[in-house]
Amino acid sequence: MSESPTDTPARIPFWRNVKTIGIFFQLVFAAVMVALALVLVNNVVEALNRTNIPANFSFLPARAGVPIAETPIPYTPNDPYWRALLIGLLNTLRVAVIGVVLATILGVVVGVMRLSTNWVARQVATGYVELIRNTPLAVQIIFWFTAVLTVVPPLSSNPITLPGGMLVSNIGIAIPWLFPGYSFGQWLPWLIAAIVIGIGTWLLFRRRIAMSDRPARRAWPLALALFILIGGGSYLLIHSRTSMPENLALDFLVDRGRGSIFIDHDASGSMAGGEQPVPYAAVIMRIEEATLNATTSNVFESRRLNPSSFRFPFIRAGEVEDAQVSFAADEDAERFSVHFTAWPSRGIIYEDRNGNGEFDEGEDLNPETGRGFSGVSMVITVYNFERYVVADRDGQVRLPRFESASEAEAEAAPAAGGPSTGLFGLNLDATADTGAELDFTYELQHTGPLVWSTPVVSVSNYDGGIRFSTSYLAMLLALVFYTAAFMAEIVRGGVQAVARGQTEAAKALGLNASQTFSMIVFPQALRIILPPMISQYLNLTKNSSLAPLAAYGELFAISVIVANQTGASVPVTLMLIAAYVVISLIFALILNIVNARIALVER
Amino acid sequence: MGMIPAREPPAGTTGFTAWARHNLFGSVSSGIISVLLGAFMLWAVFSILNWTLFSASWEPLWNNMRLLFVYRYPPELLWRPLGVVGLVLFLLGLSAATSRRETGSIIRGVYWSMAGVSWIPTVIALFAWPSVRWLWLGASLAGLLGLLLGRALPRFGRSLPWLWGASIPATVLLLYGVWNSGPLQMVGTRLWGGFMLTLVLATVGIVASFPIGVALALGRRSTLPAIKYFCIAFIEIVRGAPLITWLFIASLMVPLIFNVGPEAIDPLVRGLVAITFFSAAYMAENVRGGLQAVPRGQSEAARALGLSGWQTMSVIVLPQALKAVLPAIVGQAIGLFKDTSLVFIVGLFDFFEIGRRVIPNQTASLQIPGGVYMEMSVFMTLIYFFFAYRMSIASRQLEKQLGVGER
Repeated sequence: MSESPTDTPARIPFWRNVKTIGIFFQLVFAAVMVALALVLVNNVVEALNRTNIPANFSFLPARAGVPIAETPIPYTPNDPYWRALLIGLLNTLRVAVIGVVLATILGVVVGVMRLSTNWVARQVATGYVELIRNTPLAVQIIFWFTAVLTVVPPLSSNPITLPGGMLVSNIGIAIPWLFPGYSFGQWLPWLIAAIVIGIGTWLLFRRRIAMSDRPARRAWPLALALFILIGGGSYLLIHSRTSMPENLALDFLVDRGRGSIFIDHDASGSMAGGEQPVPYAAVIMRIEEATLNATTSNVFESRRLNPSSFRFPFIRAGEVEDAQVSFAADEDAERFSVHFTAWPSRGIIYEDRNGNGEFDEGEDLNPETGRGFSGVSMVITVYNFERYVVADRDGQVRLPRFESASEAEAEAAPAAGGPSTGLFGLNLDATADTGAELDFTYELQHTGPLVWSTPVVSVSNYDGGIRFSTSYLAMLLALVFYTAAFMAEIVRGGVQAVARGQTEAAKALGLNASQTFSMIVFPQALRIILPPMISQYLNLTKNSSLAPLAAYGELFAISVIVANQTGASVPVTLMLIAAYVVISLIFALILNIVNARIALVER
Repeated sequence: MGMIPAREPPAGTTGFTAWARHNLFGSVSSGIISVLLGAFMLWAVFSILNWTLFSASWEPLWNNMRLLFVYRYPPELLWRPLGVVGLVLFLLGLSAATSRRETGSIIRGVYWSMAGVSWIPTVIALFAWPSVRWLWLGASLAGLLGLLLGRALPRFGRSLPWLWGASIPATVLLLYGVWNSGPLQMVGTRLWGGFMLTLVLATVGIVASFPIGVALALGRRSTLPAIKYFCIAFIEIVRGAPLITWLFIASLMVPLIFNVGPEAIDPLVRGLVAITFFSAAYMAENVRGGLQAVPRGQSEAARALGLSGWQTMSVIVLPQALKAVLPAIVGQAIGLFKDTSLVFIVGLFDFFEIGRRVIPNQTASLQIPGGVYMEMSVFMTLIYFFFAYRMSIASRQLEKQLGVGER
């Protein structure tokens, strides 16, 4: 091989060397960026100095004074800003976690429906997906929040009671729920043991069965039986062996309708400083005779105007032996009659113009004004009111604010009596000196490690049960329906991507349609479905930031409030972005792990 | 030996019976689903019809149509936004008639649905809105004119890119105005709003984010670490937080960055800045996907032919990459169109904000039981759905035409 001088490339001058150009270009880029950043930061600093906007994080420990409707952890407006922001983050997680679970279920159902052989199911699913995906989430949120809200009856006119004790009204829903009672601490070790033994048994027997000659046997029934035996047995044992804590007492002001259950160390009957409230303790409260007042009005319910309505939403039929509704003024009693739509809590008044003693159409309207009779004072007298109340997280118990029926009966009210321990220490009967002229008695109840709490309405909010506000529900429903539409498409695509031969082979092996789907097609589709599904989980979490539209206090909404209140817009926005970027990174990490796992499975 | 005479097909294998047997009553469970779901859908359709025709109060909506679509744009200057509508319909018609490329049928589909729908307000205007009667008629006729002109003189097709390009300054000129008075007097952006603003935000957002997104995508694939990591950081941070936070930040930080008072910067500018950069980060990821899909051999062959780096990128790689991601970009346009509903954060009165707050507040005194929230959200759903759904159809057709996603 001969080398002619023309073959050797001339040395490239350094200014045309790609490397030099690259470095030079980067230096210029970096210089421009740094200069730009300096100018902007300088501007921001000057603007901050000029306007006295705080630019550090010193506001965080200051008193927030921000009222938040839903607080997963205890919070009062006296708590500092960082706690308010923490509650925002927790509320984001609260809507995101439940939303992800529900959206996945709905998304899979709709995705499978889109592939169904059933024409109706296919059309319904397609219509749902197209409608939801092509409408802004914001519109869907206000649809759920404002439009659906107007159809639900307001709390003040009696919530809908669903079977099982669930309450639905315009402030949200309340669901009966189990809470840890005072003996939960004793049960907890047993519960943990039961879970550990259950899972351990399952894992152990699953391996054994897999290696045995009968691999079709299942390991979970034995594990579940063990779990129920240990967990349930210890529960019953603790329930029967333990008694109520000594000195458990109720400090209740019946005329104010509130009080708390606590450990009465000094046996004073009232809660002094240092005495701890007991959460989720149960008590039966009784009032012999009492009254509540209401005035009639023309109320909007479910987009309808209901004229001349009176409402006693705090009393339900099963809680009273008898109840009588009367008019406060004599002339009203002569003029009007009462017609119940739901005894004793809901009804209307009317003028019996034709004298037939029954309510007829139009008799609830004033012929002069064409409107209903509003502002008529009504009184309900209840006899032998009895309610089982479970204290809340802070040991608080509430009752409607009853008034005494009459002076005469008030004088007959019994004197004070401290709590007395009954035989076996199980029942405590007591009459409290309430200071009111009401015949009020209570009976603290012995409960097991778990307390079943059914929601009731006693003031302007639900008591007991687990409660979800309308804001939360609107966000949850909108996010679930919106994200599920995208998930349905992912599921459909994933299932369609599984090779046809797989289905055919499964059929040829004699598997039926559901076996083919659940054992052959779906596990393979899952590999394709999972990664985009995780991005949808992230999308749902990020989309929860539209919460201000539904007045739900999550991270973004509370950050906006804090930024507006303190003026510390720069630190708050930095924290906000950091929080969301961290959430995104966590999801990216999960995605990478899942991708790695899937890749391993494929080989 | 004659042939066996043709017989009727066995009963229940053709026609509706067979279809129903296969699609509705394939099995017992399928039959149950058909009946239950069918009954539910019938009930739903019946209740929606009943509500629409009898219990809904459409009057507040009807009386506030102008507010919803153009907000406080001066009524005597409405010929300008409607002129833009006419211009776009005209150009669409021209494109539909002259496009000879594979995407021609898609453009024709878009044209026919847009031109067709424009006749709904035109007919309503002819009967009920005397002030814009002839303007709507003109706009709709401009669409037809464009189509006819394109059919008669197909050579217009070659100048279409220029015409579309020229329509952008023309639109700005028409909507914003030039002088202090006269027919082209300036209309401040504070008077802009309604659906007009929604379309402006979505269009400017997607158009302005395109070059930034391409630059970011190229930067992310660059071999120069400084540029590469800057682009990665920008894309990931912007995509990491939701749009609503960027809008919030834009409303707080843009005045600080320029060291001016909070009122000095037009809310439209703040909204556009946030939307554009947010959209650009997503655009960058879409374009990057396209760039990755272009085989290495393409750029190597181009370099072997002696094309420079810029030429390789702009003539060989980018066209192929963009073609591959066109459906994804349309998908992003749909997302952006829907996301413009969040600009209430910067204090703009777009279509959504007017439907959500302005009209319900204005009609509160009418004491309609339950307010007009349901009516407003149904109407907004219809409008958003029409445009977004039309785009998603186009995106699907593009996907098919360009053979993207086929193996």
